[in-house]
Amino acid sequence: MELLYAACVGLLVFCGVFLILRARTFPIVLGLTMFSYAVNLFLFASGRLSINKAAVLGYSADYADPLPQAFVLTAIVIGFAMTAFVVILAIRGRADLGTDHVDGEKTSQDKKVNV
Amino acid sequence: MMQHLSFLPILLPMLAGVTLLMPPFGSHKKIRRIASVTMSIVVFFASLALLLKVQTDGVVVYAIGDWSAPFGIVLVADALSTLLVCLTTLLGVVCTLYASAGDDEKGSFFHPLTHFLILGVNGAFLTGDAFNLFVFFEVLLIASYSLLMHGGDKKNTRAALQYVIMNLVGSAIFLIALGVLYGVLGTLNMADMAQQVSQLQGDDVYLAKIGGLLLLVVFALKGALLPLHLWLPNTYATAMPVVAALFAIMTKVGVYSMMRVYTLIFGDEAGELSHMAQSWLWWFALATIAVGAVGVLASKSLRKLTANLVIVSVGTLVALVAIQTVEASAAAIYYLIHSTLVTAALFLLADLIGRQRGKYTDQITAGHAIMQPRLLGCCFLVAAVTVIGMPPLSGFIAKVWLLKETLHANYAFVFWPLYLIASLAVLVGVTKAGVTLFWRHQNTVLANNEQQGVNLPQIIALLILIVAAPLMSIFAGPLSEYALGAASQLHDFNDNIDMILSGGQ
Amino acid sequence: MTLLWIPLLSLLGSIISSRTGKLTRNQSTTLSLLMPVIALILTITLAPNVFAGAIFRESFSWVPLLGIDLAFRLDGLSILFVFMILGIGILVIFYARYYLSSNDSLPKLYAYLMLFMTAMLGIVMSNNVIQLWFFWELTSISSFLLISYWWHKPEARKGATMALTITGGGGLALLGGLLLLGDMVGSYNLDVILVSKELIQAHAWYEVSLILILLGAFTKSAQFPFHFWLPHAMAAPTPVSAYLHSATMVKAGIFLLARFYPALAGTDLWFILVSLTGLATLLFAAYVALFKHDLKGLLAYSTISHLGLITLLFGLDTKLAAVAAIFHIINHATFKASLFMATGIIDHETGTRDMRKLNGMWRFMPYTATLAMVAASAMAGVPLLNGFLSKEMFFAETLHQQLLGSMSWLIPVLATVAGALAVAYSARFVHDVFFNGDPIDLPKQPSEPPRYMRVPIEILVALCLVVGIFPNFVVDDILKAASTAVLGGYVPEFKVALWHGFNLPLLMSGFAVIGGLLLYTQRRHLFAFQASLPTVNAKQFFDDSVYNITKWCQHKINTIENGSLQRYLVVMFILVLFFAGWPLFEMSQLIGQNSATPVDMHNAIGAALLMFGAISTVIWYRSRVVSLLMLSVVGLMVSVAFTRFSAPDLALTQLTVEVVTIILLMLALFFLPQYTQKESSSTRVLRDLGISAALGIIVGSICYALITRPFESISDFFIANAKTGGGGTNVVNVILVDFRGFDTLGEICVLGIAALGIYKLLLNLPLLIPRSDSEGRPWAKERYPLLLESISQSLLPLALMVSFYIFLRGHNLPGGGFIAGLITAVAFILQYIAHGSNWIAQRLTINYRKIIATGIVIALSTGLGSWFFSRPFMTTWFDYFDIPLIGKTELASALVFDLGVYLTVVGSTLMILASLGKLTANEPKDGVHS
Repeated sequence: MELLYAACVGLLVFCGVFLILRARTFPIVLGLTMFSYAVNLFLFASGRLSINKAAVLGYSADYADPLPQAFVLTAIVIGFAMTAFVVILAIRGRADLGTDHVDGEKTSQDKKVNV
Repeated sequence: MMQHLSFLPILLPMLAGVTLLMPPFGSHKKIRRIASVTMSIVVFFASLALLLKVQTDGVVVYAIGDWSAPFGIVLVADALSTLLVCLTTLLGVVCTLYASAGDDEKGSFFHPLTHFLILGVNGAFLTGDAFNLFVFFEVLLIASYSLLMHGGDKKNTRAALQYVIMNLVGSAIFLIALGVLYGVLGTLNMADMAQQVSQLQGDDVYLAKIGGLLLLVVFALKGALLPLHLWLPNTYATAMPVVAALFAIMTKVGVYSMMRVYTLIFGDEAGELSHMAQSWLWWFALATIAVGAVGVLASKSLRKLTANLVIVSVGTLVALVAIQTVEASAAAIYYLIHSTLVTAALFLLADLIGRQRGKYTDQITAGHAIMQPRLLGCCFLVAAVTVIGMPPLSGFIAKVWLLKETLHANYAFVFWPLYLIASLAVLVGVTKAGVTLFWRHQNTVLANNEQQGVNLPQIIALLILIVAAPLMSIFAGPLSEYALGAASQLHDFNDNIDMILSGGQ
Repeated sequence: MTLLWIPLLSLLGSIISSRTGKLTRNQSTTLSLLMPVIALILTITLAPNVFAGAIFRESFSWVPLLGIDLAFRLDGLSILFVFMILGIGILVIFYARYYLSSNDSLPKLYAYLMLFMTAMLGIVMSNNVIQLWFFWELTSISSFLLISYWWHKPEARKGATMALTITGGGGLALLGGLLLLGDMVGSYNLDVILVSKELIQAHAWYEVSLILILLGAFTKSAQFPFHFWLPHAMAAPTPVSAYLHSATMVKAGIFLLARFYPALAGTDLWFILVSLTGLATLLFAAYVALFKHDLKGLLAYSTISHLGLITLLFGLDTKLAAVAAIFHIINHATFKASLFMATGIIDHETGTRDMRKLNGMWRFMPYTATLAMVAASAMAGVPLLNGFLSKEMFFAETLHQQLLGSMSWLIPVLATVAGALAVAYSARFVHDVFFNGDPIDLPKQPSEPPRYMRVPIEILVALCLVVGIFPNFVVDDILKAASTAVLGGYVPEFKVALWHGFNLPLLMSGFAVIGGLLLYTQRRHLFAFQASLPTVNAKQFFDDSVYNITKWCQHKINTIENGSLQRYLVVMFILVLFFAGWPLFEMSQLIGQNSATPVDMHNAIGAALLMFGAISTVIWYRSRVVSLLMLSVVGLMVSVAFTRFSAPDLALTQLTVEVVTIILLMLALFFLPQYTQKESSSTRVLRDLGISAALGIIVGSICYALITRPFESISDFFIANAKTGGGGTNVVNVILVDFRGFDTLGEICVLGIAALGIYKLLLNLPLLIPRSDSEGRPWAKERYPLLLESISQSLLPLALMVSFYIFLRGHNLPGGGFIAGLITAVAFILQYIAHGSNWIAQRLTINYRKIIATGIVIALSTGLGSWFFSRPFMTTWFDYFDIPLIGKTELASALVFDLGVYLTVVGSTLMILASLGKLTANEPKDGVHS
């Protein structure tokens, strides 16, 4: 179980990072989202995995660690805000730069200015 | 009210930010400006009051929700954090004032966003909880993202994309680090973490180490430490200067977090993990200074130059932090204040100069004559002398002090030559910039519509920053004493722990 | 206080004269002269005691922590320099009034001059080495301002920059040396340093600090090979040159040698470094001076050569050498200052300084000529003049030293050669300018200058003579006093006299004079020979090196910061890889003690789906819609995982967020290319695969290591206190709104700010709405599907009810403000999708900005409520009431807080999507995304 879980996290990180390293904005956004999934799962797991335990009082004797859950919830929300922003920024970039290319060839700005 | 004083630096900016969105402030430009500036002034004085309170009654611990540490979130107001809060809010005053001259209308929500940024920074300085630190990092980041795009052009968008994406990855890494640390220590209250770390054994030590080192990556990114500095030059050089001036504090947030984490949590008491980041910080810092100096010589515009000066200052700061003695930290604190103020001033100057040189803006090349050479020239002279570190202004005190403290560090024989040569590079670069901008110009006259004279809010804002340099030099005596006190507080492990975990009693 | 007043007065003078812009030139001059004169009188009153051997001290604490005090001292050496600085300063001020043309600002010059004067006084009177450096650097700054006085001239800018760069660099070295010195003796106080010679010279750092300090001194006093800035500093107005290069700036370096002589001198290193540098400078500069056609150029190099002479004297291992050096300092100051002033007059009256044009001036300005000739012969070392005496002493000392062992005889010989050269260029100065035929096309018709312009020169020349003829009466006291200071107490018997009888030094002088005159008469051949040599231009070299360094830096920076986001990210990931990976290898074993739980069917399937989704997202990432769908699968599975591992709140949140995110991305795709064309090279792909795989493995293993280990956390406290302290049974929610409500407050701020930012980004953004997608297929004409319209409308109230329910139960069961908010938002978004934003805009006019603000305000004020009960921020309150019909109900302040969260979420989400939706609502324009 734990192994499977860790494997999933690892895989998500792998896919996320790979997408982040692409040269276009949209794949990067996908990658960031995927990466944040992985991170959330990771953070969640820092309270250890607990199957069929209660998160609400009075339903079971032993409880899942609620603190990481709270952390992850906050993280998800913040992640949502950030993703939204970067998506829009990507659109803005497309509009301003005419491309969604972020790999800085032919982009050294101040070439002509003489010393 | 006094009991809540340490919460005001967070509360007031938040209130300011929110109310500025509401009518009548939301709708009327004039009212909004006045309100914004007044509020930032109020915040500044509140922070000042807090500083004095801390001076008299010692560290103030504020348990939010009345849940004491480690369970609730506590704000820890000590000499260092309050000092930095004061610095931040002062910058807030300067920037809101400066922007009220017209920059704030080049995009929406300038004033609310500024206050939110200040909220984030203050929170990061004051909080005693690692996860809460993350939250405030996000607050200041999201605010900075939007401010970065304020009145932006194409270059600006490209820089912003890089800045935002890099920081998103950074935040993710921050979360991983927190996950690891929580998973090992079972708590995220910094003081409690420090205690837990000192009791670790076995492989848990290494897991904690992973957490600590990942935090180093995050803070290095925030603080623009080599090799994670790459985002800074373009970001700061393309941002609207008033925004860049405000950003002058943001790299310092990274450095501050390093100070806290690697002196409190992974400090003397951390057993196997004590000072684990020290050598990394030291060498990264030296490399940063070198690259920054090269950048200074390479810069083709005053804003780019200043951005590179920021990098040099970060390197210098981190080198001092890496030494991790009380005296070195004290020097770091003094240097931090000095460098933040002067770089902010230089950004504003770059803006004012640029406005008077037509299409040449602030590029370091012969251009049109400046309209108000005397006024701007004097300001520039002061700023230049300060940033170069020549007498009689604050820069030279900082330089003497840091050279003195690094003298006995390991590998001082690497730092000293490097730093001295870097200072020479700064001297050359800044002098060249000044001579070119003010003295080398074709005798062409610009039409008045192409030139904008300095107006009152701008010059007041600038002067606040400029006069700081001589003041910091004249009152170097008491200031240095204060810095030393703050530093010794920072390094006093047990005192910190007891203070925070006992809720300040 | 008296000591402090001396520099303070001149500073005052600087301020005063800068304010005299409105007055006439005479008034301004008189006012400016006032302060220095007072200072001079003050010094004179102190002089007798100093000559008697007293040392005045004064100090004021400044930065005790760093040992930086304002500490002044006045001993023999100091007072000698104070006299020179003030005396010649006063003369220069007086002279400048006549020199400067009416369209140059006199007050400005005076202000800078006296600022410089202050700095010099500070140096020579410092009793604290850091303070000494402080004023040292001030001279660099103020000399920069002085040299660049005519900043509109390129050569002035260049000269000033060069001077600042060289002396500034030297200043840094000096600072280093002084700090080391201070650290060795444990104090920055000169009194302490000067008496701890043994300690210093035994210390391991002695060599380093000596070299650093000498670097400072040599750069300042233009010793070879740092000499080249000085000739270019001649771009300054002549009065400035007269001041800087006779008595002050360049003498600062010499002063440094004299000042630290008691502490640092006496070792072989000192003697070798100082004497050889001095000797080289002496010869080289004297030789070059001979070939300068510019009068000031000649004087510049002669200055350098005389500085070399003085340095050499300090480097000789005989006691009297130091005395001779001090004596020559005085003499050089007097005759060089007068020569510069004379040159100024010639320049002023003829409009040129070129000796090829200047001839036969004797006929036009005999009086000036006489003065100049006397001064020049002093420079050459002709008897009856002060220059002669010090030169005699110099020759004498060169005979006594044992510096180069068996080769020591070289030094006197070379000294004589240098003497000959000095005679030669002095002769040229006199003969070329005042005789030697007629002037050649001068810009102006020469004549005698205004009467008072000559006064300063007369005074100085008189001094030359008096000192030259009656040395004992004039200079004995001060010379003794200064020597005592330099030699640290013991001064050997010496007698300055015109006539020592026939001896070797006299013979050497004789040789020098004859040789010099010979050289001058034979100069044609010399000039021819010199012309045949390749010209080495130090300035050119300096400029080129600066330029090349700059170019190199720019190249380096451009290669490092090539603006490629990918590179920056790769750097960061590699760093993470290293930092996270390295400790892993230190660990003894990855798996912890916990027993592994078995894998059941559901989990296996879920995991499989998740992996499938993730991998296929990567595989199909180029066709963006597909990859987006695959991504949503992953998101779904993540929320399933949360339910599985008993985190219902997370699951709900993840789900709702997922929905909104996907909608957002879909909308975004409308403005972005549908497909990503292949571009990254295979090697690049391989590299990225490598990095990401490594990261995946590392993070996975860390995760595994964590979850297989036993665990102690602070969470039990929350479970214990959720009901009693927070008044809720849903622990997670209680943590969010109560224990750690502060985080949530920050979190909704982030959300709100993000919404604002997005609105800001999209405001009047010039977007091309494509008529067709990238394949050229036109978008559907009827934009709002009918079915959806009807359904969505009927759904709306339902959705609102659901969200209300979710909201209320939040405190005790999974749910809460955030989830409810998102559900509401989704419901509204559905309307947008179904009817388009215009339709909505007509029907409900909401100011999202206000909603967000209200939300945050509500949350905030709930927190503030607790202040009225003088509790910390966000202290929650709850109680149970019996409400008729409803029954026992709980009312908690947390609920209100949650309401704030709810509003903020609704406001932000709608603001984000609506502002994006608005764009789509614009009428399609032509123009297709490439």
